[in-house]
Amino acid sequence: MKIDPITFEVLKHRLWQINDEQATAIKTISASPIVVEGNDFNVGLFTSDGRLVTSGFGSTVHVGTMGTAIEGIISQAGPIGEGDIWMTNDPFIGALHQNDVVVASPVYVAGAMVLWTANVLHHPDVGGIDEGSFCINARNLYQEPPRYLLKIVDRGEWSQSVERTFVTNSRLPDQVALDLRAQVASINVAQARLVDLIEDVGWPTVESVMSQSIEVAEAQLRDRLLAIPDGIFTGIAYMDGDRVGSERLSKVTVTLTKERDHLYFDYTGSDQQLDAAVNCTEAACWAGTAVPIYSFLYGGEIDWNDSLRKCMSVTAPLGTVVNARFPAPVSISTVGFRWLVTVAACQAVAKMLAGSPKYKDRANMSWNVSSHCINIFGEQNGKRVGALLSDHRAGGAAGRPFADGHSFAGNVTSFSASLGNIEDTEWKLPVIYLFRRQLPDSGGAGRWRGGLTAESALMPYGVESLVYKVTNTAGTDQTNALGLWGGFPGAGSQTSIVRNSSIAECIADGRALAEISNWGGELVHLPSKADGTLYMGDILRFYPPGGGGWGDPLDREEELVLKDFKNGVVTSEFAGKLYGVVLTKSGDIDLDMTKELRDSMRRERQQFKVVSWPLLDRYNMLENSDDLVVTPIGAYGEINRAGQLRCRKCGTIWFGSGAVGVRQSIGPLSLAGPWRALRWNGDSQRFSLSTLICPTCSTIIHVGEELKRE
Amino acid sequence: MDRIGVDIGGTFTDVVWIDSNGSVRFDKSFSTPGVLYEGVLEGIKYLSSEEDAFEDRLKDVERFAHGTTVSTNALIERKGAKVGLLTTAGFEDTLLIGRATLSRTGGLPINQAMDFTFTQAPSPLVDRSLIRGIDERVTLSGEVLISPTPDRIRQEVLYLLECGIESLAVVFLWSFRNSAHELLVREITNEIAPALPISLSSEIAPHIGEFERMVSTVANAYVAPLSNQYLSELGEHLRLQGFAHTLHVMTATGGSILPSEVDNKAVSLINSGPVGGLIAARYLGEGLGWKNLITADMGGTSFDVGVIVNDKFEIEENPFLAHGLPSKLPAVKIVTIGAGGGSVAWTDGHRLYVGPESAGSDPGPACYSRGGQRPTVTDALVTLGILHPKRFFAGRRELDSEAALNSIKTFIAAPLGLDPYDAADGIYKVVTAKMADLIRKASIEQGNDPRTFNLCAFGGAAGSHAALLMEQLGISSVIIPYAASVFSAMGISLSDILYSAGKAFPLAVEPTESFSFEVAGTFRELISQVEASISASGIEREKFIFSFELDIRYKGQINSVTVQWDRPTLKQDQIPLVKEAFEKVYERRFGVGSTHKSAPLELIGVRLYAISPLVRPELSPVPSPAEWSENETRLVYSKDKGWYPITVVPFNKMPSELELAGPAVIERGDTTIWIPPNFAAVRDRYANVIISCKKDPK
Repeated sequence: MKIDPITFEVLKHRLWQINDEQATAIKTISASPIVVEGNDFNVGLFTSDGRLVTSGFGSTVHVGTMGTAIEGIISQAGPIGEGDIWMTNDPFIGALHQNDVVVASPVYVAGAMVLWTANVLHHPDVGGIDEGSFCINARNLYQEPPRYLLKIVDRGEWSQSVERTFVTNSRLPDQVALDLRAQVASINVAQARLVDLIEDVGWPTVESVMSQSIEVAEAQLRDRLLAIPDGIFTGIAYMDGDRVGSERLSKVTVTLTKERDHLYFDYTGSDQQLDAAVNCTEAACWAGTAVPIYSFLYGGEIDWNDSLRKCMSVTAPLGTVVNARFPAPVSISTVGFRWLVTVAACQAVAKMLAGSPKYKDRANMSWNVSSHCINIFGEQNGKRVGALLSDHRAGGAAGRPFADGHSFAGNVTSFSASLGNIEDTEWKLPVIYLFRRQLPDSGGAGRWRGGLTAESALMPYGVESLVYKVTNTAGTDQTNALGLWGGFPGAGSQTSIVRNSSIAECIADGRALAEISNWGGELVHLPSKADGTLYMGDILRFYPPGGGGWGDPLDREEELVLKDFKNGVVTSEFAGKLYGVVLTKSGDIDLDMTKELRDSMRRERQQFKVVSWPLLDRYNMLENSDDLVVTPIGAYGEINRAGQLRCRKCGTIWFGSGAVGVRQSIGPLSLAGPWRALRWNGDSQRFSLSTLICPTCSTIIHVGEELKRE
Repeated sequence: MDRIGVDIGGTFTDVVWIDSNGSVRFDKSFSTPGVLYEGVLEGIKYLSSEEDAFEDRLKDVERFAHGTTVSTNALIERKGAKVGLLTTAGFEDTLLIGRATLSRTGGLPINQAMDFTFTQAPSPLVDRSLIRGIDERVTLSGEVLISPTPDRIRQEVLYLLECGIESLAVVFLWSFRNSAHELLVREITNEIAPALPISLSSEIAPHIGEFERMVSTVANAYVAPLSNQYLSELGEHLRLQGFAHTLHVMTATGGSILPSEVDNKAVSLINSGPVGGLIAARYLGEGLGWKNLITADMGGTSFDVGVIVNDKFEIEENPFLAHGLPSKLPAVKIVTIGAGGGSVAWTDGHRLYVGPESAGSDPGPACYSRGGQRPTVTDALVTLGILHPKRFFAGRRELDSEAALNSIKTFIAAPLGLDPYDAADGIYKVVTAKMADLIRKASIEQGNDPRTFNLCAFGGAAGSHAALLMEQLGISSVIIPYAASVFSAMGISLSDILYSAGKAFPLAVEPTESFSFEVAGTFRELISQVEASISASGIEREKFIFSFELDIRYKGQINSVTVQWDRPTLKQDQIPLVKEAFEKVYERRFGVGSTHKSAPLELIGVRLYAISPLVRPELSPVPSPAEWSENETRLVYSKDKGWYPITVVPFNKMPSELELAGPAVIERGDTTIWIPPNFAAVRDRYANVIISCKKDPK
């Protein structure tokens, strides 16, 4: 049955509203800041075979997982009946990791199953070897939280025993009990409205609107893909440290081949799976790959649904970190390799979008590339307390082709993952913050600067000690916070502890608590996965990553650098080193000195030797663009019909027939700024900064982090 | 006694004058930016029937209530005072860091918020260089960890004064648990600069959550000087013209305050205008015996919905003052989407979208012939024959129906392969469905069934959508008020004096002495605050009715449920009662079984209201013709029925209390009212139009 566009629009909006109501119910009932502030949940309406019709505006990474879980329930749960509500957190069924509990229930019309409603939510603790259930000490799946496939409501009857089983395995039973209630109540809310709607307009109409929703979104997506030139685009992200005590370096690599209206992501080349919980399953790899497409290409205009499955293929070799073989441990997946899958996919997608005349402004190379998750647990007045800090959502995003990047950007998976208030955190946990402030020079330098991150410091308060579990995705060595087209990487995310500080004396003497110089003590920088105890007098200091820049920093207007200096965004030291802008003592620009410095920096770039184009990315002209002679690519490039990639500023051919090549400089990572590789005094032992320079006009056209060559 | 209500908007200044006989006169005139009070005085003069007796007439006015956008505009246009901010050292960047996304995408329409790359955090209200840290620290229990030194405070205040600040905001962590450090700053600043306005967070928004408290306090500091200046100018001019009483000022909490309160409440004037509409609706509802009302303000660009349950407004605990600026200042809840007469219809070749972008009034819809090319809802209504091209807004703007049709053909019908009239009908249906869905959201999400509500619709687009909304929502009656074009001003004139005070801090609900003690203490504190306001107002204490509310949630939840409570204490033996009330409200919203009996409860806040209800005026009937004149007919189009004839009635030819059966349109100066088949309309004695459904509502 074909529905006319008007009835379609009216009923589609109604379905969206019903699903949105499901989301509102979850947010209202849930007692977890991860849900209410972090937006780490989502809701959806599905066809009877588990195809997603409409998703809520929760996390885009969950858009892809609920349907897989429904398929898993259908195939593995046994008989399914009217009034049943199922729950599963099994990553090998479809959950991203064990914290994510998918709750799903079918809707029946006249005895026949017609559709599913489902939601997924990150529970704060579901058991396992480590507090918060990011099992940084696990080496196999059986040290991780239990995996469930249970019927929480059986033909309309709430199952006390199932609830008890689930709740008793958690260190935070009251919170997960409420979260589970939230999930079930919201299913009930959505189903009541759906039954009303079906009664109102009839099931055949609703069914047609549902299937057309996927078809229409697919057509919209294909239109967008056709406005993007074909090509091959790569991404790579490293993980420095995969579990407590292991500083192994591992990586995910992706090659995106874009052909007409299809995207082929190939993860061949990613490392073998690890005996650490950072692995991700195939479903999580798919979900992580989908993030930049939903976030940047769908945006608010196309429904987030299964239309993407028609236009995107993912190849992930079995037995690697991006498609771990059962029974690999995966409880950190979502902030482990799932996160890095998204980081690498974002890079490839950003490079692709940067060549589209229509969608170039959506290119975003890095967006909070490391989930700097810290769980804090302890006992206060005989009661267990614990929570995930929200500070990791303050990471920065990449400079945009038309403006600076978002500072304190939240996550690329969610437009509303918010940072918690200090007071709310101090109310929930026995800690005191000493500061939370923007970290100067943490945004990658560029024509458009990357977004800043915020640094926090806190200490136990009112308790003898607290347990900390640091699950920093990566970034204590290399940053992964890459820029594009000459933009430099931003800060790498870091955790440090000041042991045995003299903070008690500060308090007694009334000295400034926010002054690091007052603290004394011994500063220790932690690897990306770490745990231990914070005693009274110990101070935890940490920050998530910054965003990378866009374009050569020497092209940044002096006035913008001055403004950044005045707002505490850039220090005068790095205004000079990275932007070539000289500031006077009184805080103005010294124009003459600046011109001189910028000229000399450009001259210095001439010393590096010319190499042939070293990057694997391949650009094409936009198809059907007969009126175009060239297609502009990114900040400085352009490609013509002959396949020559040239400098838009000076015409030098970098790649293709008659290519001159580019200059390449390999230098220390610390050239990109402070706030990286703190454990090695700000410079990496394993990585260097690789810079490509136009041989004629000396513009930096690429900055990357590369493994050091032997 | 006469009363006047004035609502200044960005474009228009609306004045409503209700005289002692209850007759209502109103006027809409252009606002006079820069000298806003002149527009107000013009409006009043226009309404005082005998020009020369203006001053005498103003003497009869006992009540002059005012809703002003001075504060809202100052905030939106970033034209407020130069503010200095003192905060706890180490947290100077709180305003900049914000809440990550909440302070960037919060308060935006959802489709814009979802556009990850293109959102942008709003420009800050305070320059970073004017934010200074003070070394001080209080803990969550109110214990002092570090005391500030007077010297440091003095030094920072002097620095800020040197930078030329015009207003000072002070926001320390946990100051609502112990305000001593903020009070010390005020004491020292008063010595140095007695005239400098000071906003303390412990007074402006004593609630947990430093970012929202800081936004609230800084916004207050930002708009207070301008608001004060404007109100004193207006007050002065009114006095010169003979007005002998005190001006009242409308707030977003749903009542009015006195100008003397504005120092600490300037921020509550922000977004206060639309609340007038709810007050007026409640007033009309009282007369009709309608206790449950949904209000819908339908203009050219936005569609605003409010809900009145059992004569009470719903309250939004953390409303956005503007994009990216969430506050902790409870306000009457109004939800909004971009949908109205000017909403642009567009397609990508796959779907028909309407809004949220609006063509505004310039260039406006294609049919305005002012350069607008793209079709809007107004263009669809002209094409369908519901709007008459020569009678739009009482003929003040002639519409080009051919331009409307062409625009729909080009931009919608052709790309989607539709008949242009069907496309026009589609635009009308899609925008109405979005409006209906917003009403569903506003009502159902709070556990209210829209079928148990009546609708009060006002604004220029009200007439063309009201009946269809009834049909879609199963609502049985709609009122389109006589004074619909100045409805907020009408409500403002009817607003009560309302003082509210609240404090928000989570407290585990436990049957202990200390819990009861803490609750009683907090209420005492709030009562004394409100009593201070009352005694300053000069109104007798006896005229105020006090009411109390408790905000309760399960421990750890972010959102709470409000429970009405009848006293300013909460004793141990009353805890089961409160729990019961909480569960009742909770289950109404989320269904039976959604409560979790063993989960501990938290009292997140207490609030009290002191209302001095005004005597409600008895309105006098508006004269109308005794019987129908001969009505004309014209053709309208719908996809289902094709072209068919309808009755056309000019409003001033409509007798009261006689039923007009649909299909028909009533052409009133402010709005064209569409009565579909199966609906009927009556003009009541007060010239309101009431639409009812003739078939069984769904």
